[in-house]
Amino acid sequence: MSVQPVAKSSLAFRKEALAPVLLEMCSVRVGPTLFGLPITHILEIVGHTCPQDVPLAPEFVGGLVHYRGDVLTTVSLRQLLGLPRQNANAKYGKDGCHDIIVLESSAGCFGLLVDSVGEVLTVSSSDHEPNPSILDARRSALFAGAYKLQQGLLVMLDPEKLDPIRLGATAA
Amino acid sequence: MDELTREFLIESQEGLDRMERCLTDLEERPQDTELLGEIFRSVHTIKGTTGFLGFRRLEKLAHAGENLLGLLRDGKLSANQPIITGLLQLMDALRGVLRTIETHNHEGEGKDAHLDEQLISLLVELQRPGAAPIIVEAKVSASTAGEAAATEKHLSHPTARSSPPALPDSDTAPAPPTPSSVSISKASRTAPEPAADNNKPKVAAASDSTLRVDVALLNRMMNLVGELVLTRNQILQATALDPSFTMLSRRLDMVTADLRESVMKARMQPVSNVFSKFPRIVRDLSQMLQRKVRLVMEGQETELDKSLLEAIKDPLTHAVRNSLDHGIEMPDVRIAAGKDPEGTLKLRAYQESSHVIIEVSDDGAGIGVERVRNKAIERGLITAERASQLGERELLQLIFLPGFSTAETVTNVSGRGVGMDVVRTNVEKIGGKVELDSRPGNGTTLRLRIPLTLAIIPALIVRSLNQSFALPQGALSELVHIPPDRVATAIEWIEGAPLYRLRGQLLPLIFLDRMLCPGLLAATSNASSSESESLPERDHFIAVLDADGRRFGLVVDGLADPEEIVVKPLSTVLKTIGLYSGATVLGSGDLALILDPGSIATRAGVTMSRAEEQAGTALEDEEDAMASKFLLVEAGDRHAAVSIADVVRIERLPLARVEYVGYRPVLNFQGQLLPIEDSAGVFASAAADPEAQIIVVVCREGNRQVGIAVSHVLDVATGDELFEAGSQHRTSGVTLLNDHVTGIVDLRAIQPLPVSSHADEMQHSQWNQVPEDIEETVA
Repeated sequence: MSVQPVAKSSLAFRKEALAPVLLEMCSVRVGPTLFGLPITHILEIVGHTCPQDVPLAPEFVGGLVHYRGDVLTTVSLRQLLGLPRQNANAKYGKDGCHDIIVLESSAGCFGLLVDSVGEVLTVSSSDHEPNPSILDARRSALFAGAYKLQQGLLVMLDPEKLDPIRLGATAA
Repeated sequence: MDELTREFLIESQEGLDRMERCLTDLEERPQDTELLGEIFRSVHTIKGTTGFLGFRRLEKLAHAGENLLGLLRDGKLSANQPIITGLLQLMDALRGVLRTIETHNHEGEGKDAHLDEQLISLLVELQRPGAAPIIVEAKVSASTAGEAAATEKHLSHPTARSSPPALPDSDTAPAPPTPSSVSISKASRTAPEPAADNNKPKVAAASDSTLRVDVALLNRMMNLVGELVLTRNQILQATALDPSFTMLSRRLDMVTADLRESVMKARMQPVSNVFSKFPRIVRDLSQMLQRKVRLVMEGQETELDKSLLEAIKDPLTHAVRNSLDHGIEMPDVRIAAGKDPEGTLKLRAYQESSHVIIEVSDDGAGIGVERVRNKAIERGLITAERASQLGERELLQLIFLPGFSTAETVTNVSGRGVGMDVVRTNVEKIGGKVELDSRPGNGTTLRLRIPLTLAIIPALIVRSLNQSFALPQGALSELVHIPPDRVATAIEWIEGAPLYRLRGQLLPLIFLDRMLCPGLLAATSNASSSESESLPERDHFIAVLDADGRRFGLVVDGLADPEEIVVKPLSTVLKTIGLYSGATVLGSGDLALILDPGSIATRAGVTMSRAEEQAGTALEDEEDAMASKFLLVEAGDRHAAVSIADVVRIERLPLARVEYVGYRPVLNFQGQLLPIEDSAGVFASAAADPEAQIIVVVCREGNRQVGIAVSHVLDVATGDELFEAGSQHRTSGVTLLNDHVTGIVDLRAIQPLPVSSHADEMQHSQWNQVPEDIEETVA
């Protein structure tokens, strides 16, 4: 797999007609949708962790996890998209446990709760399409377009936009 | 800002700190060439570097100072009050410019130029010998009368203050001597000589063996060590069954503990970092207030976490200002009272178990209790009726109320009524306590009790909503258990507001689960008010909390162990919820949110209502009554009483934890050795059972702690005094508890732990005698 390094800030996935850039995306699944996160923003993938609930926290907060000596706030992608809480997790069978992707944003680190983490896919910037106009406002604020893959669409997520601080500010 | 400038700023600040210390010392011993050399070097370094970095304003100021200091150093001029004041002004100006550079990255040219000019011309003026008094006189007319006193003093002893010393054996001292000054300068000269000699090699050694470390890096290290501790705990659990791993994990255990301690230590700084600015403050204030004050500082080497040191800076300054303004009297008043006209202000720091105590004490007038009472009534802080009921101790506490001041007029030193309440809130914010002692006519002592580190706080872990929460011990005053069968009757309701009768006072209750999960109530019951008042028949626990004077009971489902927790910050999103002050990782690896009692009270609407204020007074009365309240214990087959005020905590622990020093049982209690009294033979009777649990009542006696082994803790009861028949002498050592005469354990009789080789003699303790006394009395 030959991959060109991608600058961290190149989250503006513009179509470059002349030289298509290859990008590495970590695929995650939430509900029926396949999402992609640029691996350059991923610090670690922690499997099988039970986040601690925070009563009275905003809806999108998935709880707290202990990560390398710090207490990380996690964002539940499910709750963010307005999907029902998944109690019986197919992978672990035990409720409350998730795969957590530890992401780095400009304001610090946070965790993203997903249903399951898939493989790392290499996508070409020539396959990128912007968000469709029929997408609802909440989703179009979170998504950064999609890549057309052979097996379907890979919906891009922008880690900066998932940062709990930013979500908290927009929710308020 | 580039690296070079930053480096320059740090270095210059350090230089100025050194200069400040030296300047105040210089006032004591104006001829100390070591000090002058040190000050000269600081200013010279700043001048040199500024020229290089192109800070013209700084350079000009430093240059003027350097010229003056050069003359002083060469002995052409001698340091006197006006010169030192001038140099202090220069230092302030330099600091000001450095601050501007730090924030704006330029010198802030222009707007303060005329001030600079003034200062420079002052410094030039001071260079002419004999010019000093003129300048001071000019200043007197402009500034407060306080300096007049200082000037007079200066003028009346010109030879003693400003003439060079005349010690023929000292080769540094310049000539010529004035006969009248010989004895004085000799006295002032002999003391600093050895100190100066000792200092020099030490300074050099310190700079060689230390280096600067970014605080952020230390914080990161602290975090990582915390993580390591948790991983270690898990490894210890996982390998407990495998003997081959045990040795390795033991070693890991030891190394981790050592590492943790070292990293904690790295964050510690001596309190002298804060103390060092007080000589200047005291000097300036005492001049302004026309007081004569001698500052004594003790225990400067006592160490405290850096962030805590920062936090106590302001409270300490307030306390010192208060002592100078309200405590120490004018010299003539002092003479009239038969005291030394020079007052003493003492700053003392020392460590006491897991706290550092900082004392600010003065030998001034003390606090007039009547004056406090009248002022508090005048300012409407309490009612006259209530004030008349308060005892001396409660009245003293009034000075911590916001808005309290006994100063007749508002000065720029104090009197605005902010001060003591700031001291208290700031100290309580970091988990500390403030105590006040005052003896009218003899002075006041303010004691700040500061925890050793901020990062680790003692907390009680409570359970609610199947989750663990941490409650800071500082706010916790007591715990009440309500068994399932009493739930329905013990908790009373006024239209949906739950209350509990705590010793006759109604205590508002907050249900933690209902507060954190408003939906819970609606889901489990139909929202009718009678339904919400019915509680499930299970154990309920009430944690009685005191949040800034607001008392309430927090109802939780269960209690776990108290734990020393490491506070981890929460992200902004969760901080805005307001109820949590942080999170922590428990020994089990679980996360727990740290509850903030103050916000809980605010959210639930608990206020200092009139009724609760009175409850507060009742509590204080209760504290007074504490002396006559006793913990009734059973040791062996006898009953004995321990004064509640002395009891720190009651520990139930396995017998195996008790160790022996010689014949004396001791306990490793929170990392310290606690001597245990066991004359009743509790340990011996329990020894047969290897799993036996024993109960140790940990008591405070003076400034040490001792443990008393008991078989059962029975009750808390109020003791009545007993009088000997006929003589009506009050008996000591016994009290009437629940209509039985009971012996009071004499804690003073418990001998201290052997310091050296007297271990063998320690077994003959006097506790033996106490129960015998009881039996006699009972009989």
